[in-house]
Amino acid sequence: MMDDAPQDDLMRLLGRVANHDRTAFQHLYEQMSARMYGLCHRLAGQQELAEEALQDAFIRIWHHASEYHSERGSPMTWMMTIARYRTLDLMRARKVRRSAGESALEHLEDERSGPLDESIRMDGSEALTGCLEELSESQRDSILLSYYRGFTHDELSSALSTPVGTVKSWIRRGLLALKRCLER
Amino acid sequence: MRKTPERIESLASEYVLGSLRGAARKRFEGWMMESYRVRQEVWFWEDKLSALADKVPEEEPPARVWSSIEQRLWPDTAAVRKPRSLGWLWPSWSLAATAAVLVMAVLLVQRPTPAPVPMLSGAIVQPDVKDPLWLVSEAGSDHRLRLRPVAATAAQAGKDYELWIVPDGGQPLSLGVMPVNGIYQVTLTDAARKALSTSRTLAISLEPKGGSPTGAPTGPILHVTKLYEL
Repeated sequence: MMDDAPQDDLMRLLGRVANHDRTAFQHLYEQMSARMYGLCHRLAGQQELAEEALQDAFIRIWHHASEYHSERGSPMTWMMTIARYRTLDLMRARKVRRSAGESALEHLEDERSGPLDESIRMDGSEALTGCLEELSESQRDSILLSYYRGFTHDELSSALSTPVGTVKSWIRRGLLALKRCLER
Repeated sequence: MRKTPERIESLASEYVLGSLRGAARKRFEGWMMESYRVRQEVWFWEDKLSALADKVPEEEPPARVWSSIEQRLWPDTAAVRKPRSLGWLWPSWSLAATAAVLVMAVLLVQRPTPAPVPMLSGAIVQPDVKDPLWLVSEAGSDHRLRLRPVAATAAQAGKDYELWIVPDGGQPLSLGVMPVNGIYQVTLTDAARKALSTSRTLAISLEPKGGSPTGAPTGPILHVTKLYEL
């Protein structure tokens, strides 16, 4: 994953951005924007909000680059996380709901059973070194739909035709099991 | 609510996943501010779950995103500027008679290239077209200017697009006729490079097939753009 944007390079650029180097900031944008935008867009499901989230994320990076440190993961992780949180914030603020209305519900059903969902499932499994495989299918799907689509408990409940309490428990237990596996 | 290790563990994971919402999310953010232990737990999950983000395909954001960022951070010097009036530059060039479209320059949002780092870059855009017509970049070491067509469409029959450097003073310098169906690269002479590095202005005119017969622009100026240093 780091082939075209080596972490050392990002680290160096971040350091310069912390000193308010505009050229470095632009290089950082060139290196990271497509990656971050891909995530924002998939999460938000709409271009306008994804663009706004990306903008906000980079403004935040400009102002807070000096707060990055290695405990927060790689520079790439740090930036992707900022982009993802900002997208989630905007989705909540705008009440971007993929479950509002009947057609949206059908859309959810489609995603659940369609090839899109299958690809998400495969991507996720591969990424977490097989740990997702140890979860039940319901746990895994609720976690992946929350991560990639920003589904709320209510939306998951509708999408998976399951009471909210059950969905919450799938996520909670799924994450716990995931952590135990990742720590092994 | 007490900060038991179990609660911290569970809430941190849901915070990072995004399923922790509303008041509970706010409260947990308070915990993060107070406790290093809580922050560490959050960082653990941010790091682990970022592996999921790596699987999402990259997608090039529209050029306007970078322009907006610049506008917000540096409103006085942002890249989006109107090109200056060209009337005084070429008194012989009858702009009034043309349907010239003056366009605004936007900073090029460029994918990382291995080497060399471009020195000048920009985009030729048209207000009613979403994508830039051409992306412009300069390869630093050998003074090569590169134009990649994105949304450019072919000139009308019997016509060609010709590229010019607009110096701060004097006649425009031709950089040749540009195709729209492939990358156009031109190596700048020392004089051309010098003129461009000072004025940083390019123009595209519509000329008879094969380019201007006089060596100076004869057709309407379709686009003018100002390049920016990276």
